[in-house]
Amino acid sequence: MQRFWNDPVSWGHAGIYLLGAIAILAVVIVFVTYAIYFERKVIGWMQYRKGPNRTGPLGLLQTVADVAKLLIKEDTIPAKADKALFILAPALAFVPSFLVLAIIPYGLNLQFADLNVGFLYYVALSGITTIAIILGGWSSNNKYALLGGMRSAAQMISYEVPLVLSVVGIAMMTESLNLREIVIHQEGYFWHWNFLPQIIGFAVFVVAAISELNRTPFDLPEAESELVAGYHVEYSGFRFAFFMLTEYIYVYAIACLATILFLGGWNPPAPQLDFIPGLLWFALKFAFIVFFLFWIRATLPRLRVDQLMGMAWKVLLPLAILNIFLTALGIEWWGKGG
Amino acid sequence: MLNFNVDFTGEFFAFFLLAACAIVGAVLAINFTKVVHMALSLAFTFVSLAGLYVLLQAEFVAFVQVLLYVGAVTILMIFGIMMTKHQSEGREPGRPLLETLAAIGCLCLFGILFYAIRNASFPKPQAELPEDNTMAIGKLLYSAYAIPFELVSVLLTVAFIGAVALAKREKEEEEEPK
Repeated sequence: MQRFWNDPVSWGHAGIYLLGAIAILAVVIVFVTYAIYFERKVIGWMQYRKGPNRTGPLGLLQTVADVAKLLIKEDTIPAKADKALFILAPALAFVPSFLVLAIIPYGLNLQFADLNVGFLYYVALSGITTIAIILGGWSSNNKYALLGGMRSAAQMISYEVPLVLSVVGIAMMTESLNLREIVIHQEGYFWHWNFLPQIIGFAVFVVAAISELNRTPFDLPEAESELVAGYHVEYSGFRFAFFMLTEYIYVYAIACLATILFLGGWNPPAPQLDFIPGLLWFALKFAFIVFFLFWIRATLPRLRVDQLMGMAWKVLLPLAILNIFLTALGIEWWGKGG
Repeated sequence: MLNFNVDFTGEFFAFFLLAACAIVGAVLAINFTKVVHMALSLAFTFVSLAGLYVLLQAEFVAFVQVLLYVGAVTILMIFGIMMTKHQSEGREPGRPLLETLAAIGCLCLFGILFYAIRNASFPKPQAELPEDNTMAIGKLLYSAYAIPFELVSVLLTVAFIGAVALAKREKEEEEEPK
């Protein structure tokens, strides 16, 4: 781990860290803007519609207009809400979502913090967002919001278990939780990437990750047909925008993680192709995962709330544990080649 | 005894910031009246403590602490929401004698701890710290401390089965009268 706190405290160092943070914030905001546009377009095409096409050329400014609308909207706080927590919740949801981006390696030398427990860091911090979602639901003083918050807590805690266990196989093969070393371990042809030797783990990871993101088919916390809008039903304007921003930053983070853990990060599919920069390969794989998430959303119906918990504990958890045993056997019999 | 010689590095600022946060969280957890507020300030303390672990280069302990306690606080919050009334009740009447005694006890404890910590010597460890401390923890858990580790997991399994058995029995009792 980089000992950045050993640097002398000066405005210069503070400025460098601040610039890094602002740069990644800019990248993320551009991503979120166009991810929302892309999502609406893709789902539109899949449903035989055109999607947004009025604001700006090809509708490219649609999200910008939406955000501008949210910014100038009246900011309402319900009279009986717990005011302090109502205001705190969106910020508390956003901060961890942004912090998890610090450990993502985009290239061999393109990373903010090289942490030796990279994956645990992601899971630990994303749990704080769950607290914020419950707080938002509870402090709104609204039955639907509270139910949404409760569902979210149950869902996030249940699906965290298979999510972590599905990555244990990779940690066993790499002998590290460091995201950089996990990518370095996957060098070579595309069948060296973890998604083939860890196919069960990959499947469990994808399902658990979609659930952690609260996206369809697992978007029960905000199931609009039963709960109006779930935990953020009382939020409007900028605070609502913060919850949405958080959700899309987690899409970004989980797509990066899936790329790093299972799709070989910045490694090209064959060593002959390494004249194309690694960042481009990373972006391609990342874009594929993001597209996959939208595709799933347009395709699958929402699960029932009782099926959801059964799925986590009766299907995903045994599969994840089976994967750990199979990985251990594989390492015992054939060594770590996969 | 009171030699506070410090150099102003980032570590120094981070330590004081995190320590202050941990103390503020703990004090607020005692003073709030609503259970959700209390749970939240507890979470604040735990996260600050995790920050202190990171300063001590114990990243694994730090993030496992966040992972576990955040889950625990979430559950605590849900129980708080489900089992207490939403509108807070009036305060309990104060008990001056008890409160004075408690204050004296606290001050004594603080004095003892302060004295003990100031007098303790922290010798530098002989061997160099391992480069990858997460791996070192893992290796120790599965070699030197394998038996205690397995015993703890047996204990957890027993608690787990006990919880399931309790939950099941309650359900059956509910169903019987039908």
